Amino acid sequence: MNPSEDQIYVIIFSTLFLGGLMSTFVVAMVFIHRQRQAQNKQKLDQIKSEHEKTLLNIENEIQQDTLTHVGRELHDNIGQLLSLAKLYLGSSKPEKQQEGKETINQVISEVRALSKNLNLDWVESLTIEEFIEQQLQKIESTGFCKTTFEHSIELGELPKDQKLVLIRVIQEILNNAMKHASPEEIKVKIWKDGATRTIQIKDNGKGFDTSIESSGSGMYNLKKRMETIGGDVSITSSIGNGTLIHLLLPN
Amino acid sequence: MSSPFWTAFGDWYLFNIDALLLIGTYYFLKLKKEEKANSYYWLPFLIIAFTVFYENLGAYTNYNFEFKKSVNALLGNTEFPKYNLWLYNIANKQLSTVLYLFLIKTWLEPSQKKYINWMVIVFVIVSIFLQIAGIEPLYLNQPIIFSMGANMILVGSGLYFIGLITNQYYLNTNPLKLLSFWQMTFLLFTYSLTYINSMTVIYLYEINPQLGISIVQIDRVLGILNKVTLVLIITSPLLKKVFVKEPIFGVA
Repeated sequence: MNPSEDQIYVIIFSTLFLGGLMSTFVVAMVFIHRQRQAQNKQKLDQIKSEHEKTLLNIENEIQQDTLTHVGRELHDNIGQLLSLAKLYLGSSKPEKQQEGKETINQVISEVRALSKNLNLDWVESLTIEEFIEQQLQKIESTGFCKTTFEHSIELGELPKDQKLVLIRVIQEILNNAMKHASPEEIKVKIWKDGATRTIQIKDNGKGFDTSIESSGSGMYNLKKRMETIGGDVSITSSIGNGTLIHLLLPN
Repeated sequence: MSSPFWTAFGDWYLFNIDALLLIGTYYFLKLKKEEKANSYYWLPFLIIAFTVFYENLGAYTNYNFEFKKSVNALLGNTEFPKYNLWLYNIANKQLSTVLYLFLIKTWLEPSQKKYINWMVIVFVIVSIFLQIAGIEPLYLNQPIIFSMGANMILVGSGLYFIGLITNQYYLNTNPLKLLSFWQMTFLLFTYSLTYINSMTVIYLYEINPQLGISIVQIDRVLGILNKVTLVLIITSPLLKKVFVKEPIFGVA
């Protein structure tokens, strides 16, 4: 074998080696792609199931609250009205009987209004702005504290899952403010900065130390819930200085 | 059948790429206006048209020896008037490499496109420098320029494959149904299999011309496969059932 033959073999061998190397590379890439695709799918399924679980929890919580509210209404309002109607209708005086009939009519309309709360259809018919207004009115009517609500934009029709999460998150924030902060005023504001829509909830109550947080805390739950709908939450608070919460809505 | 014209132009490779240009032109003209304006479609068409142009010009230089001799003389090559390497150097090793780099760029995610831009700039500047400085004259074999271009194509392919296994858009698709995957695979094979023999082509022709010719056939077969994939890219709006839609990241 002369030197030129050797060189030719080297050229052929090198070409074949490079070809083999490239084939291995491409096949390896396809395998890695398949593997990653499977991992990605698993991850997506997990996120989806977590999202569904969170939504289910939220629906359960809202239904539980609704049932508590319905129970209270039945006992404190409708029960009282029916007792009153019984008294009026038992009277021999025609004007009392008339009042009894009117009370029954009132009971009917109260029961109709209550029945609407029993399923979650009201979530679809209500806008977030209307819900906030209702909640703030409830707080004001108890004489607990003053409330204000400003919104420079309309949030418009949101998907049901986003709406459910937002309703529950807002409810939780307002409940926390009333339970733990004892504020004199609660202010809610909605605005848009660029593409980001923000709901701000501010109270001038006791405040708390935000550095103390655990995975089971309310703050953690709020964050997790907002993240399930692609949003975020930021909480600013310190003892004695009230609490400022920004809910950043998904784009 | 053995006329000089037939000897120069009667080649299976030329017939094939000419036919592919005709098919490509027909389907390119059938594309919607906005598709024609998209580099995803016009760049493959440009590459096919350019390849057909220089391959036919190459055949013409073999047919018209006087023309080839005068161009060689113009470039200062009076020693090897039979060579038409000047044409393949400028068209195949330089301009085609740049066009393929731009094609790879259309399939990369925006954050990786800048690497291709830098590669093209470096490739053009170094190639011009090597030729002006006389290190690699235009009319002789240019192993440094070819290896630089091939390495850049291989790096570009690497970037594409990294995107394929990390980018969400690519992870949601079947790579075997992506035309970009096949194009990158053929490019990878073309540039790697011809890597050594392109640098040693003159040596091979001197030592063992038969082997030199045989090895050049690899380049031609892969060249045809590349052009077929380019035609398929142009016709892809009509082949939605066979190939999946590419995640087009646009040209930056």
